Amino acid sequence: MKQEVLKHFDVPWLPLTALVLFVVCFAAYTYWTYRKANRPHFESVSRIPLEDPSIKTNDLQGKIS
Amino acid sequence: MSASLDGKPRNGRLESFTYDDGIVKLFVIATLIWGVVALFLGVTIAFQMADWHVNLGLPWTTFGRLRPLHTNAAIFAFCGNAIFAGIYYSHQRLLKARLFSDTLSKIHFWGWQLIIVSAALTLPFGITTGKEYAELEWPIDIAITLIWVVFAVNFFGTIIRRRERHIYVAIWFYIATILTVAVLHIVNSLEIPVTLTKSYSLYAGVQDALVQWWYGHNAVAFFLTTPFLGLMYYFVPKAANRPVYSYRLSIIHFWSLVFIYIWAGPHHLLYTTLPEWAQTLGMVFSVMLWMPSWGGMINGLMTLRGVWDKVRTEPSLRFMAAALTFYGMSTFEGPLLSIKSVNAIAHFTDWIPGHVHSGTIGWNYMLIAGILFFLVPKLWNTELYSKKLAHQQFWFVTIGLVLYIISMWVAGITQSMMWRAMDDAGNLIYPNFVETVIKITPMYWIRAIGGTLVLTSFIMMMYNFWKTIKNGKKEAPVVYEAYALDSSSIEHDASAHRKLEGWPMIFSVLSLIAILVGSAIEIIPSLMADKYVVKIDAIKPYTALELYGRDVYIKEGCYLCHSQTVRPMAHEAVRYGKVSNAAEFVYDHPFQWGSKRTGPDLARVGGKYPNMWHYKHFFDPREVTAGSLMPQYRWLFDSKIDYKTLPKKLEVMRKLGVPYSQEEIDNSVADARAQAKMIAEDLAQSGVPMKIAEMDVVALIAYIQRIGVDYGSIPEEE
Ligand code: HEC
Repeated sequence: MKQEVLKHFDVPWLPLTALVLFVVCFAAYTYWTYRKANRPHFESVSRIPLEDPSIKTNDLQGKIS
Repeated sequence: MSASLDGKPRNGRLESFTYDDGIVKLFVIATLIWGVVALFLGVTIAFQMADWHVNLGLPWTTFGRLRPLHTNAAIFAFCGNAIFAGIYYSHQRLLKARLFSDTLSKIHFWGWQLIIVSAALTLPFGITTGKEYAELEWPIDIAITLIWVVFAVNFFGTIIRRRERHIYVAIWFYIATILTVAVLHIVNSLEIPVTLTKSYSLYAGVQDALVQWWYGHNAVAFFLTTPFLGLMYYFVPKAANRPVYSYRLSIIHFWSLVFIYIWAGPHHLLYTTLPEWAQTLGMVFSVMLWMPSWGGMINGLMTLRGVWDKVRTEPSLRFMAAALTFYGMSTFEGPLLSIKSVNAIAHFTDWIPGHVHSGTIGWNYMLIAGILFFLVPKLWNTELYSKKLAHQQFWFVTIGLVLYIISMWVAGITQSMMWRAMDDAGNLIYPNFVETVIKITPMYWIRAIGGTLVLTSFIMMMYNFWKTIKNGKKEAPVVYEAYALDSSSIEHDASAHRKLEGWPMIFSVLSLIAILVGSAIEIIPSLMADKYVVKIDAIKPYTALELYGRDVYIKEGCYLCHSQTVRPMAHEAVRYGKVSNAAEFVYDHPFQWGSKRTGPDLARVGGKYPNMWHYKHFFDPREVTAGSLMPQYRWLFDSKIDYKTLPKKLEVMRKLGVPYSQEEIDNSVADARAQAKMIAEDLAQSGVPMKIAEMDVVALIAYIQRIGVDYGSIPEEE
C-alpha cells in the first residue's frame, strides 16, 4: 500500500539529488580514508582504547577535576 | 612519560582526574534487572501464543497489553541501560576525562528509570498510542525528550572537556545515535492530547504508516545497531587487548551506515518515476551499502583472530564472537526479507519475530553479556565468580535462540504457504484461518521453550554477577593524570579529515546535516503522501461510538494480532475481500494496519458476522471458533463506556482534519447512546440483557462492524 501511494510521488529530483549526494560523499570519504598519507594517523588513533593515562595515586590525595 | 600519539614530546599542563564509575555501576545493575523483566515478559507472551489460558483472564495480563510492555522493556529498558553503561564507561576512557557533570549523570539515570517505571504503570492498563515501539503516551514522550537532552549535554560536555584530541570511531557511532534518536522520537511522537493519558497521532492512514515505518526501521538501526557497534569498537579491542583489525574499514562502516539512512527511503521509489540509469545505480549502491555491515562483522571477528584460543576460555570474548556472528546473520536476513518476493511470503508471519530475535538476542543480548563479563569484574575490583557457569549460560542462550529462530522459520513459512494455497478453480485450500493457526501451534511451544532457555541463561548470569559483586573489594578511586588540550597538541600539518576528527563539534554538525538531509529526503514523500491519496466521497468519518470502540481496539492491542490491510494478491482478495485502498484510511489517527497476522486480517470484517457472533467471540472465542488462541475479553462486558470523553475526542479529531461538524460534536453523546441502544436491541433478541448498551463491548462491536464497510460497499469496477 505504501508503495502504491509512493507511486504517485512525482518529484523525481528528490531521489536523484539523494543519489548524487550519496555518490559524491561516498567517493569523498572513501578517498580520505584510504589515502596513503593518512595511514599512520589511523594506526595511532586505533590504539586509543588500549592506552590508559598514567596513574598518579590510588587514593584521593591528589587534586581531582 | 607523556608523549602525544605521534611520539612528539608534550609540554602542556598536566591535570589530575578520576572517572565516574559509580554511574556505570548503576546502569549495569539496571541493565540486569530490566533484562530479566523483559525476558520474563517475552516468555510469558510466548506461552500465551501456545496456550490462551496463560492470558489469565485479567485485562492487564493479556497478550495485547503485555506485548508492548515486553518490546519497550527489551529495547528501552534493557538495551537502553546497557547502552548508557557502556557509553559512560568507554566515553570517559576514550577522552581521558570524567563525565561532564555528576548531577546530570544522576538525573539521567533516575529519570530513565522513572520513564521505565511509568511505562510499566501505563502499558498494562491499556494506556497506549497504538503505534508499535512508540506506544508510550505523550507525557512520557516529553519526559523521554528531556532526559535525552540531559544525556546529550552530559555527553557533549565531556567531549569539550576531553584530554585526547582525536575522537575514536566508537564515539562517532555514539554521536550518530544521540542525534538520530532525537530526530526520530520527536517526529514520530507528534500527537494531540485528548486527556493526560490519551492522544491522537498527528498523522493519519498511509502517512502515519510511512512515518511509523520510517521510525521503526531507523529505531532498529539507531537504537539497536549504531550504539552497539560503537560499543563493539571499544570493548572488543579492549577485551582482546589488541587494536581493531582495520580502523579504516570502521570509518567506511560508519559513514555508510549514516548514508544508508539517506538511501533507504528513495530506494523504495526505485520502481517508479526514476529513469532507468538511476534505478540501476541505486541498486548497485544498495548492495554496496549492505556490504559495510558485513565489513563491521569481519572487522570485529578479525580483531578476535589473534586471541582465538581465548575465545574458548574467556566468557567476554566468547559472547562477543557469538554476537558478531549473529549480527552478520541478521544483517544478511534483513535485506533478504526486503526483497519483494520474499517479503510477500514473510510479511505478517512469524518469520519476522524470528528475524527480530536473531538480532535482539543474538546481537544485543550476546554483546551486552560480553561487555558485562568484561566490565563487572573490573568495576567491582574482583574476579568473575564462575567461568564455568558463564559457559553453561552461553549454551543455554545459544540453544534457546536457535530453537526460537528455527521454529519461527517453520511456523512462518508453513502458515504463509497455507494462506496462499489455492486449487485450480481458484478456491482456497484452507479457507478457515484457524486451521493455519492450529497447524503451527507446536512451533509456538518450541519457541516458548527456547525463550525459557534464554530467560534461564540470563538468570544464570545474574547469579554469577551477584556472587562476583559480593566478592568485590572497595578501593579508593584511582587518580589519573594527563595533559590538558592546548596548542601543543594540535597538528598543524594534518590533513583535512584528521582535522575533521579533531573537531568533534564540526564533525557532529556534519553528521547532523547528513542525518537531517537523509531524514528529509526520506520523510518528504511520506509527509506529502496524503496529497497523493485520491479522496473517495463514500468514505466517511467514524461515528462517535465507533471512534470510542476504535480506542478500545487500540487499548486492548488488537493490532498486535490483527492486520487491517488486504494486499493486492489473488489469495488475499479471495480470503478477505476487496484489496485495500489508501483512501480508506484518511480518518485513521493512528493507522492500525498491524504488522503480524496471528489472527485474520480485519480490513473487511464489518458486516461479515452478526453482532451476536462478536458478542460470543469476545466473551470466549472458542465458543464460535474451535481451536482459536485469541484471548477472552470478558472485562469489556462490565466496564462502562465513558461517554463524557466523546465531545473532546471528536474535537481533537476535527483539529486533525477529520470533518466533524459542530453539531456532530455537540450531539456526540446522544448519538453514541442511540447507536449503542440499537446494537443492544439486536443482541437482546438473543436474550442479552439491555444493560449491555452501557458497556465497552458494544462500542467495540460498533467499530468492528464498521471496518472496511464504506469502501467495501462501492461496486467493483470491471
Ligand atoms: C493473541 C492474538 C489475538 C489477539 C490479541 C486478538 N485476536 Fe482476534 N483473533 C485471533 C485469532 C487467532 C483469530 C482466528 C480464530 C477466531 O476466530 O477466533 C481471531 C479472530 C478474530 C475475529 C474474527 C475474524 C474473522 O474474519 O473471522 C475478530 C473480529 C477478532 N479476532 C477481533 C479481535 C479484537 C477486536 C481483538 C482485540 C480486542 C482481538 N481480536 C485480539 C487472535 C487474536
